Amino acid sequence: MDFLLEGFKAIGANPKMIAMWIIGGVLIYLAIKKDMEPALLLPMGFGAILVNLPLSPVIGDPSVNPDEHLGIITSLFKVGIEASEAMPLLLFIGIGCMIDFGPLLSNPKLFILGGAAQLGIFITIILAALIGFPLKDAASIGIIGAADGPTAILVAMKLASNYVGPIMVVAYSYMALVPIVQPAVVKLCTTKKERLIKMKYNAKQIPRLMRILFPIIVTIVSGIIAPDSLSLVGMLMFGNLLRECGVLSSLSETAQTTFSNIITLLLGITISFQMQADAFLSFETLIIMALGLFAFVFDTVGGVMCAKLMNLFSKEKINPMLGAAGISAFPMAARVVEKMGIKEDPSNHLLMHAVGANVSGQIASAIVGGLILGLLGIYA
Amino acid sequence: MLNFLLAFENLKFDATVLRHTLNFLWQGLLAIFVVIGLIILAVKITSLVINKCDEAKKKREVEKNDSQNKEA
Repeated sequence: MDFLLEGFKAIGANPKMIAMWIIGGVLIYLAIKKDMEPALLLPMGFGAILVNLPLSPVIGDPSVNPDEHLGIITSLFKVGIEASEAMPLLLFIGIGCMIDFGPLLSNPKLFILGGAAQLGIFITIILAALIGFPLKDAASIGIIGAADGPTAILVAMKLASNYVGPIMVVAYSYMALVPIVQPAVVKLCTTKKERLIKMKYNAKQIPRLMRILFPIIVTIVSGIIAPDSLSLVGMLMFGNLLRECGVLSSLSETAQTTFSNIITLLLGITISFQMQADAFLSFETLIIMALGLFAFVFDTVGGVMCAKLMNLFSKEKINPMLGAAGISAFPMAARVVEKMGIKEDPSNHLLMHAVGANVSGQIASAIVGGLILGLLGIYA
Repeated sequence: MLNFLLAFENLKFDATVLRHTLNFLWQGLLAIFVVIGLIILAVKITSLVINKCDEAKKKREVEKNDSQNKEA
């Protein structure tokens, strides 16, 4: 009858597993009760429990222990993420399909806000490196500030960071915290008068040819200047081309719905491979959580300050809150800005401008991910 | 964990790491703004070309209509 007690013995040998069940439970609670990124936090939460059960066969790996069979989660991780980063990249096709670049194309200077809102990434890299993280880990932690799960996964995996698990969990959890973190930071960085700035939205018709050429232009430019960003930007822009070409509506619809849902579902449960108690429960995880928050805050500050700077040189004033929408969390960051605008003045609708800044952040974060990979290649 | 606690304790001023990461900062930000600048430029030029082509097309159609009216 000893075999019935094997599981209990294994828990006794590694009680950290129980802590991971609690963390998994918290993630499931946040997903269901608080509606925080449920599509990802729920599979991740359940996965955290699944991979931390004693003698769990789902994480079996014959290359580590020849007596084990290849577990389903190990298999998904090795094929879908480790071997080629296929899952996060494929998810970008769906995201590209969902994005309408119209608001950005009608006011291209909003693109600058997307670039400025990546400031937190670089400042966090400096801080993480000064604390003592090796440069590859510091860069992987900094990219949490991109507010872009797939980019964070891709960069951390490519750099072979030792903290892929905590980085993935923190990146996705903090994306859900955008509505809590950003309003406080924006209020600290702006005056009431600035938040009341009204902006006219010129809903001019963007020619179809322009909409088709835009993803091609972005792919070529970023491919030439930042070739390491090409896999991310390329997939994002391919998705957008599917949407805008007008002749592949069924493919576009599939990519936006079924395809994205399948990848998201698999990605969530696959990420849990990195949530095994021994690797996940460490003091470093707490530091990564703090640094991730720092990156988010300084991204928002960067975007807001850039909008203020642009106002010094521009006749048509920009509401500095739009800078906060320059982070990649799409469409949450744009919604936050719209809500804040309406709260200050019920007639002040900033949504379309915010969406423009937000989609520019989506492109900018993918490019920055590639730039970091390139820069680290130079310094390695 | 001990390494990290020691790192906090030894958080003096590591000039090499700082210099390294500051290079990262300015090069990264410069590169992103160069890419964005080029994309904005390319979008503006493309818009201009598309608008000019549209205008020329409309002009040609107006001229064609006018000539047809005259012939009639």
